[in-house]
Amino acid sequence: MSIDYSQKIPNNVNLNENKTLQRALEHWQPEFINWWKDMGPDESQGFDVYLRTAVSVDPGGWAHFDYVKMPDYRWGIFLNPAEEGRKVNFGAHKGEAAWQEVPGEYRSNLRRLIVTQGDTEPASVEQQRHLGLTCPSLYDMRNLFQVNVEEGRHLWAMVYLLHAYFGRDGREEAEALLERRSGDADNPRILGAFNENTPDWLSFFMFTYFTDRDGKYQLCSLAESGFDPLARTCKFMLTEEAHHMFVGESGVGRVIQRTCEVMNQLKTDDVAKIRAAGVIDLPTIQRYLNFHFSVTMDLFGADVSSNAATFYNTGLKGRYEETKQDDDHQLSDASYPVLEVADGQLLTVQAPYLNALNERLRDDYVRDAVAGIERWNKIIQKAGIPFVLGAPHKAFNRKIGPLSAAKISPAGKVLSEAEWTHHHLTWLPSIEDRAFVSSLMGRVVEPGKFANWIAPPARGINNQPVDFSYVRFN
Amino acid sequence: MSTASTTPVTIMRQHLIDPEICIRCNTCEETCPVDAISHDSRNYVVDAAKCNYCYDCISPCPTGAIDSWRNMRADLAYPIAEQLLWDTLPAQVALDESTGVGAGDTAALPDDVAKIAAASTAGQGGIAPPPWSAAHPYVNLYSIQKPAVATVSGNFRLTAEDASSDIRHIVLDFGNASFPVLEGQTIGILAPGLDANGRPHHVRLYSVASPRDGERPRYNNLSLTVKRVTADHEGAAVRGVASNFLCDLKKGDQVNVVGPYGTSFLMPNHAGSNLLMICTGTGSAPMRAMTERRRRKSVPAEDGKLMLFFGARTPDELPYFGPLTRLPKDFIDINLAFSRVPDRPRQYVQDLIRARADEVVRLLQDENTYLYLCGLKGMEQGVDAAISEVCGNHGLAWKTLQAALLQQGRYHVETY
Amino acid sequence: MTYPAAPPQTITYDTHPDQYKHWRLSCNGQIATLHLDINEDAGIKPGYKLKLNSYDLGVDIELYDALQRIRFEHPEVRTVVVTSGKDRIFCSGANIFMLGLSTHAWKVNFCKFTNETRNGIEDSSRHSGLKFLAACNGTTAGGGYELALACDEIILIDDRSSAVSLPEVPLLGVLPGTGGLTRVTDKRRVRRDHADIFCTLTEGVRAQRAKEWRLIDDYAKPQAFAEKVQQRAAQLAAQSDRPADAKGVTLPPLKRRIDETGYHYETVDVVIDRKSRRATLTVAAPSAQPADGIEEILGAGAAWWPLLMARELDDAILMLRTNDLEIGTWVLKTRGDAQHVLAADAALVQHQKHWFVREVIGMLRRTLARLDVTSRTLIALAERDTCFAGTLAELLLAADRSYMLALPNDPQQEAKVTLSAMNFGSYPMVNGQYRIGARFYGEEGPIAAAKAATGKPLGAAAAAELGLVTATPDDLDWEDEIRIVLEERASLSPDALTAMEANLRFGPGETMETRVFGRLSAWQNWIFIRPNAVGEAGALKVFGSGNKAKFNWERV
Repeated sequence: MSIDYSQKIPNNVNLNENKTLQRALEHWQPEFINWWKDMGPDESQGFDVYLRTAVSVDPGGWAHFDYVKMPDYRWGIFLNPAEEGRKVNFGAHKGEAAWQEVPGEYRSNLRRLIVTQGDTEPASVEQQRHLGLTCPSLYDMRNLFQVNVEEGRHLWAMVYLLHAYFGRDGREEAEALLERRSGDADNPRILGAFNENTPDWLSFFMFTYFTDRDGKYQLCSLAESGFDPLARTCKFMLTEEAHHMFVGESGVGRVIQRTCEVMNQLKTDDVAKIRAAGVIDLPTIQRYLNFHFSVTMDLFGADVSSNAATFYNTGLKGRYEETKQDDDHQLSDASYPVLEVADGQLLTVQAPYLNALNERLRDDYVRDAVAGIERWNKIIQKAGIPFVLGAPHKAFNRKIGPLSAAKISPAGKVLSEAEWTHHHLTWLPSIEDRAFVSSLMGRVVEPGKFANWIAPPARGINNQPVDFSYVRFN
Repeated sequence: MSTASTTPVTIMRQHLIDPEICIRCNTCEETCPVDAISHDSRNYVVDAAKCNYCYDCISPCPTGAIDSWRNMRADLAYPIAEQLLWDTLPAQVALDESTGVGAGDTAALPDDVAKIAAASTAGQGGIAPPPWSAAHPYVNLYSIQKPAVATVSGNFRLTAEDASSDIRHIVLDFGNASFPVLEGQTIGILAPGLDANGRPHHVRLYSVASPRDGERPRYNNLSLTVKRVTADHEGAAVRGVASNFLCDLKKGDQVNVVGPYGTSFLMPNHAGSNLLMICTGTGSAPMRAMTERRRRKSVPAEDGKLMLFFGARTPDELPYFGPLTRLPKDFIDINLAFSRVPDRPRQYVQDLIRARADEVVRLLQDENTYLYLCGLKGMEQGVDAAISEVCGNHGLAWKTLQAALLQQGRYHVETY
Repeated sequence: MTYPAAPPQTITYDTHPDQYKHWRLSCNGQIATLHLDINEDAGIKPGYKLKLNSYDLGVDIELYDALQRIRFEHPEVRTVVVTSGKDRIFCSGANIFMLGLSTHAWKVNFCKFTNETRNGIEDSSRHSGLKFLAACNGTTAGGGYELALACDEIILIDDRSSAVSLPEVPLLGVLPGTGGLTRVTDKRRVRRDHADIFCTLTEGVRAQRAKEWRLIDDYAKPQAFAEKVQQRAAQLAAQSDRPADAKGVTLPPLKRRIDETGYHYETVDVVIDRKSRRATLTVAAPSAQPADGIEEILGAGAAWWPLLMARELDDAILMLRTNDLEIGTWVLKTRGDAQHVLAADAALVQHQKHWFVREVIGMLRRTLARLDVTSRTLIALAERDTCFAGTLAELLLAADRSYMLALPNDPQQEAKVTLSAMNFGSYPMVNGQYRIGARFYGEEGPIAAAKAATGKPLGAAAAAELGLVTATPDDLDWEDEIRIVLEERASLSPDALTAMEANLRFGPGETMETRVFGRLSAWQNWIFIRPNAVGEAGALKVFGSGNKAKFNWERV
């Protein structure tokens, strides 16, 4: 066979000489394309999209921009360059040389971590597949597609690990990644949040801000892994994940900015008037925020988890910025505060640190997510509007873990069932809210034009002007 | 000049991150090879003492926040503790004149490039800030150690066959390499081989003659305007290594390219901005780039007035003479000066500036006008005198105006 | 005669009648007598005295050797009389001080070998017409009585003091764990309430009641004892078909080399990877066409490949079990020409009724059965130059998992598995079932399909199709797949693996032997780690000190 793999599949894993990988990809790649055609962005396969393609891992090489049809996108396989003499930096194996092969005894746990991470990537493409039909601008449409193809590449990255290091089991898991479907009751994606619908662009921006940020934190912890290929893969993925969060943060920011402009033009904070002017009122934005924040909280897993302890202790998954933590990196005697509901009160109790690692990562995430909300508040502040967005309490609206049994307000107060029923629609988007937001979703595809409910971005992509033809429909 | 300082104050180009744009994705921190970038719960910041200007962090940044710079006295560079408290980037502080504005840009550049840059901008007193609406330039993406490889996709003689100078239009294609340039930026050419001392040849800088979207729109290429050097400034015969190398290139040949460089000589991008361009010979390259940018109407709103003063010995030696003369009068106000046309008086660009004094002064007084001067060193003085004269005639103090223009990023000189 | 020296600390199973310290083997026509006369100062390890004809592993190693000599070197022997060379004591069983000093692993390994030797006695009785008569000429206690139980018949001296007993429970707080409890019920069919009394009675049961309770077959007064034994031995001999005039086949010492990499024999090679806690056992096919005419076979004798290979494999198993406790995974491989193995199999089938070939088959059967009850993970790997054919295919079938290299692009080079008639009943495991039959739980379809493939070299796909191998990774996957399987296995709890493998290897269908290995040994091994036996005040620890054991009275 004389396929030039390095042409077809940009990579830095010596694909041309790795027969095992080639064979695996020969089967998988057509399946992937079929999946993309079935489940990728709807009615957009023929568009020329101004996309960024990674062609190498050099600082300059991965940011190559060009028009490309999405099914022809060159999904590649990239690992950050190996770090000479890298060690396992935490857990029971701390100080040993990082593993270049899967240690047999951790195979199933590692595979589980990779499959769980990998499953989220195609899931979000599936969740977002209809959004192109209601894009607020060519610029946003292009950003959506960029997010989509990069989720696709992240799938490739995880599949690479499965193919290269897990033999037949890995190949089967890689196929299963293409077989599960977001929201399919019989064959769902693994994690709950990835079976939720992404019905409108506000949801999309919130998703890319909050949920993709969970991805960032998971990738950061996996980038600390003692299994070096996983660490290197995740490091590279982080550079792309950043773009997704940019889309989310700037997207929500532009929605807020537009709302503020209209509020100032109309000199009103009356929700009905604001909605009548075709923009999304700030309380609705807050409710969307609450929803996506709380759904994402659940993605970090149970507050006290033996899996988390095992993954850490066996060197498979570290903490966020593990090597920058000033402790023994083994944590066997340390404790960490977690939440518990007792006697109608939300209490902080100390749990063994190893078991509380999910909570630790959740807290790291919350700090980061809150900082972005503050940046949104600056937009509101600059517009002179007395409204402050805030993150709900991390125990609010949880569906996983012991906190899911309680009803907790965004302020962190434990509520009775009746209180919850009475208030929850002021905290979470109602059907009416969603219907209103979706009523604004119309397709705007004229270069330089933006839907009424969103402000144009401050600058274009890759130094291109804002009114650049980011997507050509042919 | 005031009193001489006993300890020389150096100026640095301090690398900062714009906290308003940054989304805290950590990519830069992860990318930085020297751990110069760190963060707290509020901001990502760059340690001026550690940053080595490798630019590795620039292109991975999803927002552009990373691409923020301030010319600072090295001893007054913003410390990390201060940066962590910022909500917005501070404005460029006025630097003491005696230090020379932005002279410290050299810190970031290869020695050769820094030397050339210093010499070429001496006429304006160092590197000025760019126009406020200029796009963010990428600089120094490719170093001498890691140059980009471009393929020649065209090499045409611009001057007539019998003209005394051989000026060429050379198109370089970058294939899959990312080599983003803006109008006014320069790139460095590494001529192959070694010099008489057995060392690699010095980098030679050339202004890009094509707009940012390519010599051919949306191709990953750019063009240069190169004059074959056969004599030095004194007229002694000398064979310019890089220019001859470039002029002799055939289609398909490969060239090692470094850069891009230049963060100041950039065009404004806001609506109603005027370009006042004065050039001679191959100094026309950046003017062509900017003119093409406007002509292609890539951005319809960029619709200010263009005025060009262009000098050459004869029409045959004037690069792009043909295309230039075909441009509509209402698009660009072209003033060509020829100094060696038989039977006609020698005419220089300063003569035409004087002739068009009213329009020149009107433009200079418009705060949306940006002045660009590019060409042989010799033209600087004459042009300066002419502008000073026409200003004086209209009751304007050129020296004061010039300083203000410089500070506002509206006055850009590049001479060689 | 000299034997290759083993490094210090290494236990070997090498011995010869000339070197016995504890047994005396005398052959007189069709009757052989094994006198147990234990040298109390010649324990295999220091620290205890083997008083009162009590035994340790060294004694059993000699017994095992003596049985092998009788099987191969003395084909004329039909009855083996097992008796004592000491007065008033037949055998008092395993040495309690030895047990008290030993590690748990040593005790378990020792008991397992003892059980296998006892089973071997019954195996020879069942298959080779070699009958055993325990002539209990004195006190027969604990392991001593268990030895007697392994014999076809037991005659006890009726001297008013000698008794048979299983005093482990009342005296030591452990079980008569080398088959005692099981044989009392399964073999001798002692009523369970009698058995209950017998097993809790320190002093045991003397002749008359012992016979009533079926604990012995007969008894005799001291004066009549010898004659009774001779008479009964002759009667037993009459039931045997062992040849009267055949010439024995001498068993020379094995040509074994021990070095830091492992154990090396002519047809078996053991390479130990201590870091990975893994041994690779490679069994080589005959290098040339093996002898097939009976005269040639006899001429080859102990060098005849099936016997040589069986003895070497047997020794390798014992060496690894005894000396390499941490080597938890055995990788089973074969190499050489499958045709030669199949030719040897054909000879085994053709001459199976001949006493020597019958003994060789028996040796193979017992050796393979030893593999089945080994508490190590067995992984068979069929790679390129492999010959899992016929008898050697039993290694593949004995393994917990088997992997066969598929070469879809180069089927010529692919490993092949070939079945022979020997795979269908000649080598029963201790549960009495042959491996292919047990693999498919006796289901006709798959067994018939396998049988129909007899003689056909089966490539990876065909072997997988027939269910003979676990998985067939191809050359691209092979290395990683196998590495991960082995590493993963090596990381699991050795205790859980031992128990899990034993459970899975022996599916439905119990025999006395599986009850010995499964029920009795498992309980015994549980007791062996309980404080009531081995704690500071445990019964086994305080035995002989005059102190009373202190028990934790909770029933678990």
